[in-house]
Amino acid sequence: MGDVELRIPPDVRYVGLARLVVMVAARQAGMVPDRVEDLKIAVSEATTNAVNAHRRADEQRPVVLSFGATAAGQFAVTIADAGPGFDPAPPEAHDRRDWSLENGLGVTLIRGLADDVEFRHHAGMVVHMRFAVDIDDRNAALDA
Amino acid sequence: MELSLNHRKEGDRTVLEVGGEVDVYTAPKLREKLVELVGDGHYQIVVDMTKVEFLDSTGLGVLVGGLKRVRSHDGTLSLVCNQERILKIFRITGLTKVFPIHDSLDEALQDSE
Repeated sequence: MGDVELRIPPDVRYVGLARLVVMVAARQAGMVPDRVEDLKIAVSEATTNAVNAHRRADEQRPVVLSFGATAAGQFAVTIADAGPGFDPAPPEAHDRRDWSLENGLGVTLIRGLADDVEFRHHAGMVVHMRFAVDIDDRNAALDA
Repeated sequence: MELSLNHRKEGDRTVLEVGGEVDVYTAPKLREKLVELVGDGHYQIVVDMTKVEFLDSTGLGVLVGGLKRVRSHDGTLSLVCNQERILKIFRITGLTKVFPIHDSLDEALQDSE
């Protein structure tokens, strides 16, 4: 199955539309409801980061999401922006977190919800996430 | 779905009922509401999230901001949440250790903290 591409203007009002479209595509790909909830949050986080990067840089070009089922039975989502990029914080222990900070929780959620995530710099920032479509497949992969 | 916000007094507590979706687009309204409540002297706040359909890190950040505001007045901010999909994001981010989270509004109102 080929990827579907969605281009949204760099405006926060379109983040909800982006997660809705990806959610419907994931359901059509047979993703179980619990995983769809995880996917919705992770897509919202990455899209929010991308839109905010464009707004901070006064970048008018769209944020591009591409998504679809993979041959390996996963559902993949790539979110690309043209902003200056960032170096994602490494995974951190809860007890070391500085709770005076109100930002920075998004990357923690993406890492916690996606089965696999890559952050790459490529003419901006590219976040590539993969999700098992079925929770049983995910458990089998973890057991292997 | 749009965000809905309604508040009322329950004894010495102020209950803020939040419904709908809390994301980067709607979270500023929640932030404004919390700032307004604290500005009006409401320092014992219970945020009832039973009707929240979606919450992401922007919403979490606003709740952390609200907690800091009430604490600067020796106040409290607790949450009512019984939806697993929302509790999960509090667990992943470690915020279950930061907020008192209750299953029901009655339980939150009985908590003497």
